[in-house]
Amino acid sequence: MSKRILALVGLIALALPLVAQKKPAKTPWGDPDLQGTWTSDDTWGVPMERPVKYGHRLYLTEDELQAREKQVAASKQRIENPSDANHSPAKAQLDAQERGEATGGPGRGVDAAPVPGQFGEYARRASKQTSQIVEPANGRMPALTEEGKQKQTEAAALRRKKPETWTDWSIYDRCITRGVAGSIIPVIYGNGLEIVQTPGYVAIRYEMVHDTRIIPTDGRAHAPSSLRSYMGDPVGHWEGNTLVVETTNFNGRMGIGPNGGGVAGSLDMKLTERFTRMADNTINYELTVNDPKTWTSEWKIAFPITHEPGYQIYEYACHEGNMAMRNMITGTLADEAAAAAKKNQETISR
Amino acid sequence: MRSKIAVAILGAGLLLTAAPVWAHHAFAAEFDVNKPLLLKGTVTKMEWINPHAWIHIDVKDAATGKTTEWMIEAGAPNGLLRRGFTKASLPNGTDIVVEGWQAKDGSNRANGSNITLPDGKKLFVGSSGTGAPFETQK
Repeated sequence: MSKRILALVGLIALALPLVAQKKPAKTPWGDPDLQGTWTSDDTWGVPMERPVKYGHRLYLTEDELQAREKQVAASKQRIENPSDANHSPAKAQLDAQERGEATGGPGRGVDAAPVPGQFGEYARRASKQTSQIVEPANGRMPALTEEGKQKQTEAAALRRKKPETWTDWSIYDRCITRGVAGSIIPVIYGNGLEIVQTPGYVAIRYEMVHDTRIIPTDGRAHAPSSLRSYMGDPVGHWEGNTLVVETTNFNGRMGIGPNGGGVAGSLDMKLTERFTRMADNTINYELTVNDPKTWTSEWKIAFPITHEPGYQIYEYACHEGNMAMRNMITGTLADEAAAAAKKNQETISR
Repeated sequence: MRSKIAVAILGAGLLLTAAPVWAHHAFAAEFDVNKPLLLKGTVTKMEWINPHAWIHIDVKDAATGKTTEWMIEAGAPNGLLRRGFTKASLPNGTDIVVEGWQAKDGSNRANGSNITLPDGKKLFVGSSGTGAPFETQK
């Protein structure tokens, strides 16, 4: 009997290190080690703003989570095996046109991806979150100020405008940058980032549009307010195992949304990011947006970023072959020519 | 034996009255959703460039024997690599069938969706949204 108890105690002792939280790794100079390649892919499919039906609930129920797990598995299958999906949208459209049926069309579009809207990246595991925004409690962006509303109206007008010149495109379209938030919020592809540390500095490089932020953690103050930039001026410090990065000195042109879209923050915007390593393959990422000139209250985004075996950062020389700008201009010219021809025809027939 | 004779089927444009939706960096401004096409051609070059790779093909007209060059927009190189594409996936001389949509300006450029290899295997090369409601609402 006593032997059994001893054996049991022995087993528990062996098992303990497995269940105890792993002590976060440290760099040789003693900072928490966040280094490596990470991706925000696992938040694919989690809306930035919470659908109203979830109310103040941040996490899915077991049933809802199972439904999302099925979606995640289906996305992986269809993207990796397009043959299996038997998904031929252009061919289906041609066949429908031959039958005389209307398909697609401006404002309606067609589903070109194996999974609607999904062009390559997918979550490896289903997120339990109902939204990327975790504060305020309803998971939605707080109301805009009057200044914020004005910027929203201007941004919407630009989106509707047919592109005629280079300033008619967003900063992202022009391969300039995606901004601090836009570089990590998951989008259709290229959601990777790499963290490298030295004593007194943390560097973060993002794959798409290839920005690199050099973040000093040596206690220095922000640059003078006269120095402004798209990515702002980041200053970091360690709070326990968490890297806290406060970024100011923005130029007022970047939004807090996918690819830097959305309403642009003001010159006074302050972003506070927190990176906390939760496990070998997981960092919890938080981004607090403080900009009283644009939003009526502070708000926060949070999601995990993960390290995936074999995942690496590829070069993204964004403007190398950015033919879209030229093609969109010629598209606009074609539209204008068609409209003029139609008007002529109407004049003649009168 | 797989015929190298090329067939290009261009869908007749449908006149639709819906207001255009202009999503930047988007399909709708660059390609014509009313011009789906199916091209059989031979790969002459694949450009692994950002933000989108481009596949060049020669399409031969069955009736006239005349060859036309087409450029097919594909996904970003990083996205294609992660989908399993390599530089060896589309060597020059490969006969492929391309499904996609033609450029709005009527030139021989198209946005690719699927390509079918000689052995019947399909590769998804899609790159950008098409102005479908679920995309424009983002």
